[in-house]
Amino acid sequence: MPIVILTDSASDIDASVRQSLGIVAVPLKVMFGAETYQDGVTISSAEFFAKLSRSNVLPTTSQPSPLEFAEAYKAICEQYGKDVQIIAIMLSAALSGTYQSAMIAKSMLEESIDITVIDSRKASYVHGMICVEAAKAAREGKGKQQILDMIDRYLDDVQVYFIVDTLEFLQKGGRIGRAAAVIGSLLNIKPILTLDPAGYVTAFDKVRGTKKALNRVLETFQEYAQGKPVKAVVLHSAVPDQAAEILERIKQEFPVADSHLKEIGPVIGTHTGPGLLCILMARA
Amino acid sequence: MVHTRLDGVLFSRMVYLGASLLAKNVKVVDGLNVFPVPDGDTGTNMNMTLASGAEELRRKESPLLGEAASALAKGLLMGARGNSGVILSQLFRGFSKAVNGKEVIHSRQFAEALKAGVDSAYQAVMKPVEGTILTVAREAAEVAVRAARASDDIVMVMEKTYEQAQATLLRTPEMLPVLKEVGVVDSGGQGLLFIYEGFLRALRGEAPEDAAHKPKPVVNEADLDKLVHEQHAQIHMKTEDIHFGYCTEFMVHISHSTEPNKKPFTEGLFRSQLNQMGDSLLVVSDDEVVKVHIHAEHPGNVLQYAQQFGSLHRIKIENMREQHANILKAEESKVPQAVPVPQTVAARGEAEELTYGLIAVASGDGIAKILRSMGVHVVVEGGQTMNPSTEDFLNAIQGLYASEIIILPNNSNIVMAAQQAAELSDASVTVIPTKSIPQGLAALVAFNGAAGAEANAAAMKRAIANVKTGMVTHAVRDTRMGDVEFKEGDYIGIAEKEIVTACPDLQQSAVALLMEMVDEDSEIVTVFIGEGATQEQAEALEAALADAYPNVEVEIQEGGQPLYSFIFSVE
Repeated sequence: MPIVILTDSASDIDASVRQSLGIVAVPLKVMFGAETYQDGVTISSAEFFAKLSRSNVLPTTSQPSPLEFAEAYKAICEQYGKDVQIIAIMLSAALSGTYQSAMIAKSMLEESIDITVIDSRKASYVHGMICVEAAKAAREGKGKQQILDMIDRYLDDVQVYFIVDTLEFLQKGGRIGRAAAVIGSLLNIKPILTLDPAGYVTAFDKVRGTKKALNRVLETFQEYAQGKPVKAVVLHSAVPDQAAEILERIKQEFPVADSHLKEIGPVIGTHTGPGLLCILMARA
Repeated sequence: MVHTRLDGVLFSRMVYLGASLLAKNVKVVDGLNVFPVPDGDTGTNMNMTLASGAEELRRKESPLLGEAASALAKGLLMGARGNSGVILSQLFRGFSKAVNGKEVIHSRQFAEALKAGVDSAYQAVMKPVEGTILTVAREAAEVAVRAARASDDIVMVMEKTYEQAQATLLRTPEMLPVLKEVGVVDSGGQGLLFIYEGFLRALRGEAPEDAAHKPKPVVNEADLDKLVHEQHAQIHMKTEDIHFGYCTEFMVHISHSTEPNKKPFTEGLFRSQLNQMGDSLLVVSDDEVVKVHIHAEHPGNVLQYAQQFGSLHRIKIENMREQHANILKAEESKVPQAVPVPQTVAARGEAEELTYGLIAVASGDGIAKILRSMGVHVVVEGGQTMNPSTEDFLNAIQGLYASEIIILPNNSNIVMAAQQAAELSDASVTVIPTKSIPQGLAALVAFNGAAGAEANAAAMKRAIANVKTGMVTHAVRDTRMGDVEFKEGDYIGIAEKEIVTACPDLQQSAVALLMEMVDEDSEIVTVFIGEGATQEQAEALEAALADAYPNVEVEIQEGGQPLYSFIFSVE
């Protein structure tokens, strides 16, 4: 029985990785006024941030419709056969209706397909990385339950902290949630944000200046890693040099088993703006 | 002259003469401040504190000693400013408790009361330092107790007390090295000596000075109206955005305690309470009538508050926005269209009932603005040169509807007045002992509105320890401190409490101070531009820092603080 991992484009997995591991990503949409783009399909990260810097209007995003998910399920079924098992790992339901669309689509299907839809309570390559690990496990021939257990472990274990250049984008998009209290200061205060267990963006701490913020984040990760090997990912939006510098520092200060440097995609970029620095770690 | 009994009348005379003697010598006491920076104000603080005590005493004049002492103590407590002022208020708080309920006292009781005052002051100070006003008061009181065993003449006891205070004062440089280095005696101790001198002279029969008994001016309505309108004109010229929309004028006929629902009237309290409700406040009063002029956003609250003290007359309320809008309409064509600013959560305002009410002390528009942007509800105007009183804090506390109140004094000389207010207030008040603006800001960054009071206090205190404060100002006299020698007018750089650099050039002094404070571990330096410094100079500092420490972030802020050309925060 083949197992297929399905997710959304907000998982920010590279197209080449998706192809090689057979991961299906249903695109969300990004709108600049009346122009609509398919996330990662008709607009790339580079194009998006270039456009963002020129645009008079701020972009907005929208979830895929249930119909789009239903079509994706059917397409998988046609490709892999009726006995396919689909594991859908979705963008945090606290941040997006994508999970809901995937659930509705499941109930709309006439024929019965084995679909497990998971609210990851994560976003970007945080759930993206888990999709990749799940797809690898499927390739290795692991069973559905084994893979689900592994996903649960990762969801509990993975740690993410991020710093944005301005809270404006999170605020305008209504994704700031419980971090709202830290806005509005005249001083250069950097809130260190994280995703809480329910999947909301929340403030972990706040400090003055980016350097201090990064130091605080890495201190926190040291407590988490306890000197044991970790998978480390640095995500950024339009600040590749800074992100590369941070990854170098992580490689020096942590026993890194596996590391990636990634630029976030248009959908997540709509809500963070340029200048995002995000570090995630999971025990290797 | 011999006095074997001390009653309220004689006691009052002592206080008035002590107060007027201190008032005359304010500059002398100010000049003794150890730091040669332009903010020596021990004398000013003690004088304002004692003046508040004397005022209360005058209002509640009583032949009964216990009542007179209690009035003085209350006035001192409310008016206490600066550490020396708080200690002074504690000296007489203890005194007053010791003579509570007594009509007259004898020499022994007098001496014991002085001693009780010293005990109370020592308790109030967390880390008593010898070689200060505390030592002067203590040794003098010890001698008073001995003298009272030998003589029942209060004049004699006071003589001995005064002599000992003088002797101890002269020895303060031996006890406190910093005094010796600068070559001065302790300023607070000197202030106390002037007060004791006044006490002694009054006991010897000298009449209180005219100034002390000068009747208050009776309200002259024509003058007041003139005053109000002159101020009015100025305000209208300056006002660009009106925060307090209603010009409110009225008179209160003070009811003298016959009516059950009326509160007793205290001008100082009344004034500062109204001050919280608006600006452009003018209060003129005699015993019968108070005339009030204020610009307030909620005139109803003003009237409701004032009505507690008596009946209201000649009420006049005008909507200034309407007036202003009419003026603007006429000029609209000349005024460029304002760009709409996106509203932030902070600008939209918060709910009325607060979990936390934050009070911070600051001087300088820029710094006050930054504090407000970080969630401070009340910025109490003050700093080195103008220490807010205990009463100022109590008023700020009273003006907040919050279940937990946090005060950031932002100056070592204001911490005690804030703590005294916290003790006197019924509200739950925590004083975070911030000793500088950078410490205050660091504490605010660590503040978390969603956390509990204890967790916040702990986090804020931790944050204080991680910030270094530097200040650049000019010296007001020639002196040397440690290895640094300088002349009047030189720019001196102070790191925490130590003078580390001095030179005639502001920029050079500022760079030297920064290099002293910043090291490889520094993460962010904030430069607050104050009086006498420019944006260009701040940017030059940034460039100098970038050369020496390329990894340090630098942030420049318009602080607007008086006296200090630069304040630096290094984290």
